[in-house]
Amino acid sequence: MNNNLAIVVEDLSYQYHKLLAVNNISFNVKEGEILGFLGPNGAGKTTTVKILIGLLKPKTGRAFLLGKDISKHMKEIQGEIGVCFEVTNLYEQMSAVDNLTLFARLFGVKDYNPYEILKRVGLGGRERDRVEGYSKGMKQRLMIARAFVNRPKIIFLDEPTMGLDPVSSEEIRKIILEERDRGATIFLTTHDMWEADKLSDRVGFIDQGKIVALDTPLNLKQQYGKRALKANVRAENGEIVDKEILLDTNDTPSEVSKLFTNEKVITIHSKEATLEDIFIKITGRGLI
Amino acid sequence: MNFRIIKTLFIKDFTLFFKNRFIAVITVLGLVFYLFAYFFLPKTVDEVMEIGVYAPVMPPIIERIQNEGLKIETYKIEKDLKEAVSKGKVVAGLVFPADIMEKLKKGEKPIVKTYLSAELEPEIKSAISIFVNELFFIQAGYTLAIEVIEETIGPDMVGKQVSPGKRIIPLLVFFLLITETFGLANLISEEIEKRTIQALLVTPTRIQDIFIAKGLTGLILALSQALLFLVIVGELKNQPLLILITLLLGCIIVTGISFLIGSVARDMMSVLAWGVIAFIVLLVPSINILLPGAIVTNWVKILPTYYLTESIHRVMNFGYSWQNIWQNLLILLVYSLGILSVGVYILKRRYQ
Repeated sequence: MNNNLAIVVEDLSYQYHKLLAVNNISFNVKEGEILGFLGPNGAGKTTTVKILIGLLKPKTGRAFLLGKDISKHMKEIQGEIGVCFEVTNLYEQMSAVDNLTLFARLFGVKDYNPYEILKRVGLGGRERDRVEGYSKGMKQRLMIARAFVNRPKIIFLDEPTMGLDPVSSEEIRKIILEERDRGATIFLTTHDMWEADKLSDRVGFIDQGKIVALDTPLNLKQQYGKRALKANVRAENGEIVDKEILLDTNDTPSEVSKLFTNEKVITIHSKEATLEDIFIKITGRGLI
Repeated sequence: MNFRIIKTLFIKDFTLFFKNRFIAVITVLGLVFYLFAYFFLPKTVDEVMEIGVYAPVMPPIIERIQNEGLKIETYKIEKDLKEAVSKGKVVAGLVFPADIMEKLKKGEKPIVKTYLSAELEPEIKSAISIFVNELFFIQAGYTLAIEVIEETIGPDMVGKQVSPGKRIIPLLVFFLLITETFGLANLISEEIEKRTIQALLVTPTRIQDIFIAKGLTGLILALSQALLFLVIVGELKNQPLLILITLLLGCIIVTGISFLIGSVARDMMSVLAWGVIAFIVLLVPSINILLPGAIVTNWVKILPTYYLTESIHRVMNFGYSWQNIWQNLLILLVYSLGILSVGVYILKRRYQ
């Protein structure tokens, strides 16, 4: 087993009755890496996470977390992972401090300060309030805080910013990066391609239970995407129209020259393929 | 099994139990109400039957029987006697004619008018009629051609009949135990529906730790309330260990029932709906103790609460010991382990 690999997945499959939710997938995640696991709803993202965190048993295949086999040492592994679920599952009749203290005790963590953790996720001043009075964004922050309470070596984040306002989402992304900087490995499940692009060291595309691509965002863009120049030009009748010139072709220099010679250019900028474009190109369908 | 984790979960469940205002209120108010019900009901049984008599000439036999559990109230006017019967001051009124003794001496049949309360049971009405006939048969100088030998089967309760206040204890204990079913089932149902169980299971917590903590919460809450109630009403003096074990088995049964309800219920309303069904069915044996003969008893014996309430009733009200009720306890043990096992199995399946 490679000591630098935090997660090793080999030929993993899972079937719900007749539906093959995860179909023979294999991948690795290095220590300290953020892996974005992308795919549309029902692609198999959450099922993969549930297997890796011990909530489901795989039908076939093996997985190792921190070098330990999940089928044999799950409880030992769970002491060193943190999980933020897609659906909020907090004890809402308890306060944020009580929620964190409960999980700290379950993990056997002694030297922790709930107020410090809550301040870090932006819940300072509301620590003793019942969670049922929190907004969706505040609950999500608490979910994140709970996932960090045992200073985990691997953190599983399932759609951590879904349904949040841009400010809250940005704050949560900042915290994720801080955890990565601390040395944690992060398995980020999302269908927000922009977020995955911004946060992930590598991204994996999963579709119909299979991993269809896995690489760095840059490599995927280079491999599957097209670079172009996009310009707004004023036509003779006064209307503003779009013009697109593909880069990396033999005609590119002459096309660019023609644009500036013959057209009245108003704006011009380079255009890169997004991860969503690449996903559509690979799978033939969108992410929703 | 990890004791640190079980302790942490137990504290969490206990806290959440009382954070639910509805459950907290019915738990505390229930105890207060049951205590009130107990102290409100009479603790003694009035064994004297009061009969009113209007007789211008009092037959000597009536004076003789006054000391044999029958209280005779005499009235000077027949109208007053009639009014006393209608107001329930006496259960029956007897009107003896002035020439009753003369007629008896002559061997003639005197007419005795009897006023009976409309609320009197038919059995008591006919008993009074037979009693008057026999009374004047003796007064006329005849001897009854029968000798009655009495043999009491079981403890002789003459002079120490079980009062309504004592009879209601098994019912109130049942109420206390079953009330906890609602709270515990709600905790379990919420844990599954709100998916907090998933958050627990991705920590070093095992599913059995969760079940043990929940079981302990239900057991301790139910047992402590039942014991507190019995201590306050002073019914834990006789055979305390026997009562404690009976209650403990009862608590295991309600914990198992809570697991079953918690695994099928989706929210507080469905917990209440399922809980009320269980409540009504399991209530029957304790009603049978409170109102003996009100329910056909044979089928009641299939209910686990029959063995619970009967054991409590027999030990507290009749002074039964281990020897007398070990069979009840054995059946109760089988029921409690069976129901708890089924509850855990179904709950585990529901979660998985």
